Amino acid sequence: MTRKIRYGDYLGRVRVQQRVISYNEVTAWDRKHRRRPRLRPRDIHRLVAPYLSSRFLDQFRAVIPVTLFLVSFQVLVLKSGVSDVAAIGLGIVGVMLGLMFFMEGLKHGLMPFSENIGHLMPGRTSYSAVLAVAFILGAAATFAEPAIGALKSVGSLTDPESAAWLSFLLNQRSEQVVVAVAVSVGLAVLVSMLRFMQGWAMKPVVLIVTLACLALTWYLASDPALAPIIGLAWDCGAITTGPVTVPIVLALGVGVSAAAGREDNPLAGFGIVTLASLFPPLAVMALGVYTAETADLGQFATPAAAAGPGDGGLWGGALNALRAIVPLAALLWLIQRVWLREPLRHANLIGYGILLCVLGMAAFNMGLDAGLSALGMQVGDLLSTAFSGDESLYPYWAGLGIALAFALLLGFGATIAEPALNALGMTVQNLTDGAFRKQTLIRAVALGVGIGTALGMAKVIFDLPLAWLLIPGYLLALVLTILSSEEYVNLAWDSAGVTTGPVTVPLVLAMGLGLGRAVDAHEGFGILAMASVGPIVSVLAVGLWLQVRARFLRFQFVRMMRNV
Amino acid sequence: MPESQGKVEELVVLTDVVLITCIVQRGKAEEVIQAARLAGAQGATVFYAHGSGVRQRHLGVLAITVSAEKEVIYIVAASDQADRIFAKIHAAAHLDTPGMGMAYMTPLEKMATYVPPEIVERFAG
Repeated sequence: MTRKIRYGDYLGRVRVQQRVISYNEVTAWDRKHRRRPRLRPRDIHRLVAPYLSSRFLDQFRAVIPVTLFLVSFQVLVLKSGVSDVAAIGLGIVGVMLGLMFFMEGLKHGLMPFSENIGHLMPGRTSYSAVLAVAFILGAAATFAEPAIGALKSVGSLTDPESAAWLSFLLNQRSEQVVVAVAVSVGLAVLVSMLRFMQGWAMKPVVLIVTLACLALTWYLASDPALAPIIGLAWDCGAITTGPVTVPIVLALGVGVSAAAGREDNPLAGFGIVTLASLFPPLAVMALGVYTAETADLGQFATPAAAAGPGDGGLWGGALNALRAIVPLAALLWLIQRVWLREPLRHANLIGYGILLCVLGMAAFNMGLDAGLSALGMQVGDLLSTAFSGDESLYPYWAGLGIALAFALLLGFGATIAEPALNALGMTVQNLTDGAFRKQTLIRAVALGVGIGTALGMAKVIFDLPLAWLLIPGYLLALVLTILSSEEYVNLAWDSAGVTTGPVTVPLVLAMGLGLGRAVDAHEGFGILAMASVGPIVSVLAVGLWLQVRARFLRFQFVRMMRNV
Repeated sequence: MPESQGKVEELVVLTDVVLITCIVQRGKAEEVIQAARLAGAQGATVFYAHGSGVRQRHLGVLAITVSAEKEVIYIVAASDQADRIFAKIHAAAHLDTPGMGMAYMTPLEKMATYVPPEIVERFAG
């Protein structure tokens, strides 16, 4: 026999006791007693834990897979333990914490400025003022780029005998190199703004700038004393387009192109990254030629060995970070407050953001030296044992194959995990109405980076002149550019800049230099440069293939209709 | 209903319905919906919003941990179940901590959706 109980009655019994308070009374009381309630420890945990863990996990996902891949490759394939495990582990934790603080700080401290400036500036100032601000901001953002520090710390690794001018530039004139890069990024941003305002197409601009770069490369390659600079110069292009420059400059670009009346153009903001990675090689090569004309190598008999990586430890790192962030923040503030006369909102939050940026960058720089660079260098050093020397682990060709396959996988894996690429993929899928799928783009770019990394590695191992690889690569890219439509040109060239993030750059740079040293190559630069050409060619090729296929399908359709 | 069509269409309307609205930080809706489902909710609608309330005054420095990006969850429930769902949501969203959001319940006059024919047969008097 069953007894029936109405479910509603049952629920009414077990329901939680409620205490009812009138909201009127609460607000009335609240008006009299302005006091902050005390938070329980549980509340603080609930507030802080998700805030920290989600941000840490983002960086964890970016850093740990690549690191694990490197370590397991070193242990399993190269059959060697990792030395300085403690230092490298600490360094990697430093990199993750540093990136986490830095990104959060960027969001609160610097991005509000550049968004405001991008939106307000075109309406409130003159045409030439916009261009001036674009130039200054582009240059200042480059100084704040975390990976630019890696450039300074690798100087001691170049061989002053065989690559004299390269070593001279990096050790004695590293400040000038950084300034040249910063100025060229400023110019790139300026040209991009001009392009937005005038509505110039991307194709001719890319063609002209790339041809200029290639011509200068050709000139440097013909002089054996200057040829080693080519690798550094092209690598600089990949280094500059990092987590500070890209968002700041993009915010500016979107604002300007909106104000230029092209708000409906979905490609607004595209193309800046491309130019910002093509101008620096030009500037660094020009600096190389200029230095060779004017400076005297005689004074540089003994390279300053003391100027090793990580000059000054904790305080040095913090000081460098201060020097990078504070001027940029002050500049942004001045432009907004004095020039645009826009009041500063949430000053506390912005201060907090800037503080986080500085702390994060200091931690990142220290972690970079002790962790990522050290690890990359070890792997690079050991990589040569796979195929060269008397005690090589594998037969020559097998070992070489392993080394190149490793480079391919590293490039592919590091790219496929890049969050910026995922965002680009979404944009592209929407722009092309699904013709270019997100996964297609990500795979095309990753494959391009992988093949590029492997080619760059081959360049270091065989000590090939980089110009032999770069010039045909970029010529191929140019031919494909001429054949492709404007959208794919924008997309392909930008995807090259997006892929090289703050984790991949130092790792690959250090690996190349370590490998270069181990196999007695002149210098180990150029892997990043090759990793930038790769995706341009692969994305353009996929784009062309999609176009051709669409045309073929249309042709078939027309013929079918005729038959009917 | 125009008479000329000959047949009068019947509209099935449910009463004794309440709307529970819960506002939480972006990314927390999934947990809340899970709890609501276990308490008997049939479904939920989530939309994105942007807003802030108590955080600046009550949290001080900790205000930065609370995102102004929010998710708004709509749950339509039978009035008998509503209180229970409401309590579960309150616990799952940690609404007793400042800055975590809020929930409110509003009576609805009527609601229409798919109602299986046999149920209509049985209950529609």
